[in-house]
Parts: sequence; C-alpha cells; structure tokens
Amino acid sequence: MKRPLQALLLLVSGLGLLHATVFTDLYLRYVKEGMRPLLIVSGAVLLLLGTAEAWSLRKPTTPTPNNAQATPDEDHGHDHGHDHGHDHGHDHGHDHSTPPRIAWLLLLPALSLLFYAPPAIGAYSASREAPKAVAVKDQDEFDPLPATSPLPMTLTDFTSRVQQDRAKAIEGRVVRMTGFATPDGSGDGWYLTRSIFSCCAADTQFVKVRAHGTPAPSADTWVTVTGTWHVGGTLGTNSADVALDVRTIEKITRPTNGYTDALPPLAE
Amino acid sequence: MFEPFIRHSELALQKTDEPAEETAAVRPAQAKARDSKATDPKATDSNAADSKAIDSDTPEDAAEHSWPRHWLLLLLGAAVVPGAVLFLVGRGLEEPAVQAWRTVCLSIAVQALPFLLLGTALSGAINAFVPTQVFSRLLPRNPALAVPVAGAAGVVLPGCECASVPVANSLIRRGVDPAAAFAFLLSAPAVNPIVLVATAVAFPGSPEMVLARLLASLLTAAAMGWLWLWLGRAEWLKPVPRHTGHHVGRSRWTEFRLGFQHDFLHAGGFLVVGAMAAATFNVVVPRSVLDTFADSPWLSVLFLAGLAILLSVCSEADAFVAASLSGFSPLARLTFMVVGPMVDLKLIALQTGTFGRAFALRFSAATVIVAILASALIGGVLL
Repeated sequence: MKRPLQALLLLVSGLGLLHATVFTDLYLRYVKEGMRPLLIVSGAVLLLLGTAEAWSLRKPTTPTPNNAQATPDEDHGHDHGHDHGHDHGHDHGHDHSTPPRIAWLLLLPALSLLFYAPPAIGAYSASREAPKAVAVKDQDEFDPLPATSPLPMTLTDFTSRVQQDRAKAIEGRVVRMTGFATPDGSGDGWYLTRSIFSCCAADTQFVKVRAHGTPAPSADTWVTVTGTWHVGGTLGTNSADVALDVRTIEKITRPTNGYTDALPPLAE
Repeated sequence: MFEPFIRHSELALQKTDEPAEETAAVRPAQAKARDSKATDPKATDSNAADSKAIDSDTPEDAAEHSWPRHWLLLLLGAAVVPGAVLFLVGRGLEEPAVQAWRTVCLSIAVQALPFLLLGTALSGAINAFVPTQVFSRLLPRNPALAVPVAGAAGVVLPGCECASVPVANSLIRRGVDPAAAFAFLLSAPAVNPIVLVATAVAFPGSPEMVLARLLASLLTAAAMGWLWLWLGRAEWLKPVPRHTGHHVGRSRWTEFRLGFQHDFLHAGGFLVVGAMAAATFNVVVPRSVLDTFADSPWLSVLFLAGLAILLSVCSEADAFVAASLSGFSPLARLTFMVVGPMVDLKLIALQTGTFGRAFALRFSAATVIVAILASALIGGVLL
C-alpha cells in the first residue's frame, strides 16, 4: 500500500467517525451515547495521523527516493510501465513493512458512515429473535399504578405487570407505549417492539408486545399506541399473553434513544 | 463513459504536437475537436488511427496506440459493468438481511475502533520510546522463572495480538528465551489494561469475569511457556530478521507515528474482517440456534472456543462479541475470550509469516487445548 493511499485511508476513516458523531447522530444507530467522546477523539486522532502522513510526503527533505516515486502516480490502475511502485516497502529504511492490502477494508466502514449508513437494527432481526427474558421481580416491587390514563409504560414494565404482578393492577387499565412495528408472518397481529443493547448493536435484544385490533403498520414504523391488555391466559402468571388490544395508533419519528426501552415521548 | 477515450486521444494529440512549436491557436481548436469527438466514438477512433499514422517513432507511443484495437469491448465493459454492479449492489443493499448485516458489522467496527486506536498508539509509543533491551534486562536468567515474569509483563504492555507477534519476535532476536517470549506473546494481547477495561465495559456488573479472564490468560501463557521449555524444538522456529525499536539518528516521533500508523492500518483491516465474520454469523445464525449448543455445558465451551478461532476478533473488541453471545454460560464466554486473543485465523497467519508454518500450527493447536483447560479450571472456580 502506497503511503499517499495510507494517508488517504486515515483521513477518510477520521472523517467518517467525525461525520457520524459531530455533524450527525448516526453513531446512535450503532453504539451507546457514552461512546461519543471516544469516537470524536478517535476521529480527530485519525485525521491528525493522516495529515501528518500527507505532510511528511509533501516535504522535499524526506530522504527516501521512493517517496518521490510514489507521490505522483496516483493513477495506480494504469501504471503498467513502472514496476518500482509495487515493492516500495522493502528499501524504505523505516522499520514497518507497508501494511497489507487488508487495510483497504477500513474503507468500507468509513465510506458507510460517510455516504450510506445502514439503519438501526429493526424488524428484520426482531422477527428472528425470541423476546428478551424479563427479570423476575419481587411482588413488593409492584407499586400501585398511578391513576393517569392512558398510563405511559415501557414494554418491559408492561411485560412484568402482565406476567408477574399477582395484584393484577394492569387489568382494565389503558396504557400508552412506543415502539417499532415488527410484522408477524404467521397470522394476524403484529409486535410492538423495542430493541435494547448493552454494548453495541451487535448484541441487540428485543422486548415485544403483541398488538391486536389494528392492521399491522409496515415494518420498522415507529408508533405510539394506547390500549388495554388483550385477554389470554391467566393475568399475573407466565401463562398470560403479553398482548394489547390497540385502541389508538399514531405514527411517530424514531426517537433518539431508539435502543432503550423508554417511556413514550410526551404528547405534543 | 468515454473518459478513457478522451484521455487517450488527448495524449496522442499532445504527443504529436510536442516537437513542433506549440501555439496558443492550436489548443482551442484541438479542444473543440475533442469535444465534438467525445460525442461520436467513431470520429474518435478515426482520430486515434490518424495520429497513429502520423507518429509512431517511440515504442511507448506504439504501445499507447495498440490498445484501442479492442476499444469496443472496453467501451462496452465500461458502459455495462459499473451500471450492472451498481444495480445489483443497490438492490442487494436494500434487502433487510443485508441491511442488518451492515449495521452489525459497522457497529462492531465503530465500537472497537477507539480501543484499537488506543492500543496501537500505545504499542507504537512503547516501540519507539522504550528500548527493547529493557525487557530482556528485567527478566530472570532462569528460563523457567522468566516464563511467568514475561507472562505477567504482558499486563503492562498494551497492544492487540497483531502488535504482539512482531514484538515477541524481536524479543527472541535480542536474546530473550523463546519460552519467555511466547508467554509474553500469549498474555500481552489478553491481559493488558485496555483489554481488561473493555471487558469490564462489556460485562457491566460482573468484575469476576474480568478477574477470570486475567487469571486464565496468565495461566495459559505460563503453561505454554513451560510446555515450550519441555517439548519445544528450536528447528521449528524460523525467525525472520525484522527491525523493531528505536534506531540511532532517527526521530523517535517519526518512528512512533509510523509504527502507530502501520499497526493501526494492519490491525484495522483485520478488525473489519472480524466484524464482517461476526456480522455474518450474527445474521445468518439466529440466536435461537446458538441456544441448542448453549444447553450442553461442555459442547458450548468447545463451540465458543471454535467460534473464537473463526471469528478472529481483535482482543480489544472480543469482549463485546462475547457479551453479545448472551445465550451461553459465563464459562463458555470466558473460554471465548481466553482462546480468542491467543489463537485465531489471523494470528495463525501472522505467526506463520513470522515464525514459520511448522511452529505456527503446533503452537496454535497446543495453545487451544491449554487455553480451554485453563478457562475451565479458573472459570469453574470463579464463575
């Protein structure tokens, strides 16, 4: 790998990271919010490294003749005539053999971040995974529910209320929850879904609440729904269906904390 | 689409005119001719043929003019291939499975990048600012004692496994006993502070996982060093001369920068490979399938040891992958993190390049077995 290309690779990688953190919120699709300072510093360091490399190539005092050779032929695809460019690592004088071609792969994440960032983990993965097991709570942890109606809830709370709260406080209550839609191929109904990860999007787990009574929104649509528990099984035990009879449904834009199981955003 | 063509005819025209006195009047005329010809491939071709007839003194020119013979093919290729590739890739990228693959791949890369950068920066700094002799002076003379000391020394030398292979090689060249160097090679990528911090971040609320990783890795490294003292043969090793450390008369800062840059690019490429492999695994094999392995305690340990070898995730990032394998027992995940930094596909490749194949295969096979035993022992006690 020629040194101008190394500089370019470092610069593009740095720009990609800075683009995803400073100028946009793209990084939130992949990692936690706490990573932001680290990512910004990394981007800046990569930019610095790339700039330093480019600068050292620019300087006429650089002793190795190879640099002079390597710098002008940017058009590397067409240099059939000059063979020197290929093996310029071995007589370079510095200790580090040129990085292998595998380093080019760094370009993929960098360009992805810059130009074609993939979406957050969503319905496709959710439809293939079993819902995350909800931690078992002690009965005295179930405080009486506030009187607000509709009652804002997280999907995890709803699940534990339905399957664990022997006082059945959830019975007959109208709740309000937010998530994205995961269609269910097997029949009617769909899943209101939230994705949760502990580290990065690679370890995403899902909480799902089955929704009845409305046609399924298209996959990955973010919605806020209100509704009541859909009767099935015995409430307060594991046999209870984690399901909702939907009364109202409203499309919303993806919240910035899309990877947490958070309460619905306040109504406007 | 006609880009190569225009460039070529331009080249030919300039070459033709070079001997004659170039006047300002000729240039616009040529430019105009080029413009009109750019819209008409046939005209360009005839122009190329003309200029070929005019000047063919040097062989270089002859070569220049010979390639338009299959210009039609080239043109067709230039017209069809990028469009087709763009179309297919564009359609493929819209598939939800591919989107999920890209998201997982990118998130592993983004998450690991700061740690990788920190690790390679520190290893570059140590390479440039700390003389290698310091390490050999600090080690005991007795090789059997030097092994655990070198293994423990790995704790203070941050760097991922890609960086530790050349360092271990240079240690051997500076007179350190190979057994000690190998203990260092194995422990350094697994137990250094950056990796341990990453492990603590990936497993919030379970410090025993960090401790188990530290102890199991140290135990494996020491056991492998002693195993080399007992069974190892010098002829398996083929150290390639390689320079590391500071050289007189050269700026340490430049050495630092170049070492940092090289290590980062090198390891970064392997990181992307690991992320892609992990993403493929993540998307193709749903977690529910993993859980069938997860049910059997011994099978799951062996399965994750094999997975660590195949995934080849950098040691600074592998804790995050291990954390994502939530269906498995802590013991199996510990094995993943102990085996991963010591043996994986990219390390075997690196070791083959540095020490020779005879060494790399024997060493890796033995390390896997020792690492699994050590994880089972330590994990059985701690987890």
